[in-house]
Amino acid sequence: MCILCVELLITMITIFLQHELKSFWRSRNTGKNLAVKIIMGILILYLLLCALSVGFFMDVFLNKLFPKQDLIVSFSGIILVYFMFEFISRTQLQELPTLKVQPYLQLPIKRNSLVQYLALTSIISAFNLIPVLLFMPFIAKVTTVKAGGGVAWAYVVTILGLMIFNNYLALYIKRKASVNGWILVAITALLVFICLGDFVWHIYSIRDLSYHFFGRLFSQPVLALIPVLLAVAMYYINFLYLRDNLYLEELSKKASQKSSTEYPFLDSYGITGELVANEIKLIIRNKRPNSAIKVSCMFLLYGLLFYTKPALQHSDYPLILVGMLMSGIFIINYGQFMFSWQGAHFDGLLVSKMNFGEFLKAKYLLFTMVSTITFILTTPYAYFGWRILIVQFIMYLWNIGVSATIILYTANYNSKRIDLSKAAAFNWEGAGATQWLLAFPLFLTPVIIYLPCKLLGSPNTGLALIALVGLAFLLTRNFWVEKLKENFYKRKYTIAEGFRNK
Amino acid sequence: MIQVNNLKKVYSGLAVVNIPQLEIKKGESIGLVGNNGAGKTTLFRMMLDLIRPDGGEVLFKDENVAGNEDWKNYTASYLDEGFLIDYLTPEEYFYFIGSLHQQSRASVDEYLASQSDFFNGEILKRGKYIRELSKGNQTKVGIATCLLQSPELLILDEPFANIDPSTQIRLKNMLKDINKTKGVTTLISSHDLNHITDVCERILLMEKGKIIRDIATNSSTLAELENYFSVTKMII
Repeated sequence: MCILCVELLITMITIFLQHELKSFWRSRNTGKNLAVKIIMGILILYLLLCALSVGFFMDVFLNKLFPKQDLIVSFSGIILVYFMFEFISRTQLQELPTLKVQPYLQLPIKRNSLVQYLALTSIISAFNLIPVLLFMPFIAKVTTVKAGGGVAWAYVVTILGLMIFNNYLALYIKRKASVNGWILVAITALLVFICLGDFVWHIYSIRDLSYHFFGRLFSQPVLALIPVLLAVAMYYINFLYLRDNLYLEELSKKASQKSSTEYPFLDSYGITGELVANEIKLIIRNKRPNSAIKVSCMFLLYGLLFYTKPALQHSDYPLILVGMLMSGIFIINYGQFMFSWQGAHFDGLLVSKMNFGEFLKAKYLLFTMVSTITFILTTPYAYFGWRILIVQFIMYLWNIGVSATIILYTANYNSKRIDLSKAAAFNWEGAGATQWLLAFPLFLTPVIIYLPCKLLGSPNTGLALIALVGLAFLLTRNFWVEKLKENFYKRKYTIAEGFRNK
Repeated sequence: MIQVNNLKKVYSGLAVVNIPQLEIKKGESIGLVGNNGAGKTTLFRMMLDLIRPDGGEVLFKDENVAGNEDWKNYTASYLDEGFLIDYLTPEEYFYFIGSLHQQSRASVDEYLASQSDFFNGEILKRGKYIRELSKGNQTKVGIATCLLQSPELLILDEPFANIDPSTQIRLKNMLKDINKTKGVTTLISSHDLNHITDVCERILLMEKGKIIRDIATNSSTLAELENYFSVTKMII
C-alpha cells in the first residue's frame, strides 16, 4: 500500500475520532455518561492491575496449582482455557465501536476508510490489554530463559494472534446478533456446552489441546502463524460484513407485507390494555427491544447454573439473586430504557387524550404480565428443592412490586432517544457493561433487607420481609402511580425535549 | 377559545416567542405565517404544553394548558412525525387514537371509509407500518387522525408541506368545511401564502417571536403578504 493511502487513512481516522469526541461531549446526557465512564474506568483500571499482578506472579501461582508439572507445561495448558473464557466475556461485555455513518456516506470519503475506522478502533479495548499484561511477564521471565528467544517470540505472536482473532470473532457475532438476537442465544448455549463437555462431562480437555499446540511451538515455531492467519481472516470477514452493511438496511432488504394485529385478552383493560397492546407491538416489531426479550429468555436458564451446585444451595444469596434475575430480567433489561422506547412519538403521547397515569399503569401491567409468564416458566426448578420455588415466588413479588417501581422512577431521569427503526443498521449500542451499573441498587436492596435477619439467625424472617415489602408495593401500586406521575410532571418538559433531540 | 398572555420563550438569550396578548375566538380560522425561526412551531408546542414557557400562559377555554389535561379532550394536533407511533400500521394507529376517544372500531372504520378520497388508496391496507410510508403519506395519517377525533380545536403545523397538489386541494376543502359546517377553530401554519390566505379568515404574521401583523383576510391580503416576504424588501 502506498504511503499516501496510509496517511489519508490516518487523517480520516483522526477526524472521525474528533467527531466522536465532540458527539460525546456535546451530547445531552454528557454528565450521566461521564459519571458512568469514570466508574467504568476505575473498574477497568482495577482489573488491569489485577491482571498485571497475576501476570507477574504467574510462575508462583502455577507452581501452587500444578505442583507436579513443569512450569511451561502448565502455562501452555492454561492459555487456550483463558481465551475460551475471554471469548465468553467478550460476547457479553465488549462494546461495539460505533460511528453514525449516515452523514458521511454521500461525502467524498471512501467507504473503505469508514469501514477501516470501525474495524480498527475496535482494537482499543481493555480486553486487548489483559492478555498482554497476563502472559507477557511470564514469557519474559520463564519461557525466554527455559526455551530460548525463538520459542518465546512464537508464544508472543500466538497469543497476540489469538487475542485479535477473539476480538474480531466476538464483534462479528455481536454484530450478527444485533440483527438477529437468537444468534447470541445460540452461541451462548454452544459455549456453555463446550464448557460443560470439558469441565463437567470430561469428554475432552481444552487444557490438553492447548498444551499440545503450544508444545509443538518448541519444535515448529512457524505454527505461530496459524493464529495470525486466523486473526487476519477474521478481521477481513468483519471488514467485509461492515462494508456490505454500510448501506441502509432498508435498501438491501425486501419489505414484507405487514398486517394489523389484535390482542383480545387485553380488551378488558380499556385504555391501559390498548397501551400494553401497542407496547407488545413495539417489542415484536422493532429489532432493538426484540433482542431485550431474547436476552430475557436466555436468563431462564440461569437457574441451571446455580441450582445444580449443591454448595450454593445452603446459602440463600444465590437463590435471591437468581430468583430476582429470572423473573425480573425483563423489567431490568427492557425497563432501563423506559420511555426512550417511545421517544420517537413521545410528543404524540403527551398531546393525546390520555392520562399519564394510564400510561404508567400500562407499564406496570406489561411488567406484571411478562414476570408472571417467566415465573410460571421457572416453576419446574422446584425439582431442585421447594425452597427454591418459594424464593422464586418471593422475588417475583419483589420484582413486580419494587423493581418495577424503581425502574419506572429512574425512567423519569432518562431523556435519551432510542431510534427503534435504525437500531439494527449501524447503531450498535448493545447490552454493554455500562448498563449493568444501573442494576446495582436494584440488586442490593433485597440483600440489605435480608442480611440483618440472617445475621440475627433467622434467614426466613429476612425472606418474609422481602416478600412483605414486595407485596406492600404491589398493593399500594395506585399510590406509586400517583407519585410517579407527580414526579413525571416536574420532569416532563426535559424528557420531551431530550426525545425531540435526535 | 384561546387566550395568550405575556407568553415568552427564550433560547440562549434570544426571545424566540414573545407574545404580550393574543385572543382567538371560537370558530375562527387562523393562519400563522413567518419565515423559519419566527417561532411558529415553538408557539404551537407551548400551546400543546410540550415546552415550558419562560413566562406567561396559554389559556384554552379560560384554563391554563400547562399542567392541565382537560384540553386534550377537545384539541387535535399534528406538528410532525413525532406525533405518530411509527411501528403501527395506519389502521392500528387510527383504532388506538379512536379508542382514546371511546370510539368503536366500527365507527373508526366508517370514518376511514369517508376519507378514501383523501387517502387516495395509499394509506389503508397497504401492508406497511407507518414508518415505511413516505413523509407525505405520514402527514396524511397525522391529519386524518386529527379529524377522527372530531375536535373543537385543530392545530396543524405546515400541513401542506410534503403532500401532493391534489391532496393539498382536498385538504384545503376539508379545512374550510370543518370550520364552516362544524365550527371547528383551526390554527394552521404554512409557508404557502396562496393556500393559507385561501383557507384562513385571519392571518397572523410572526417575525422573531413577535406577531407583527394581525390581518383579517381580504382580497389584498395575499399581495400584502407577498410584499412582506419579497426579498427586495429585506435588502432595503
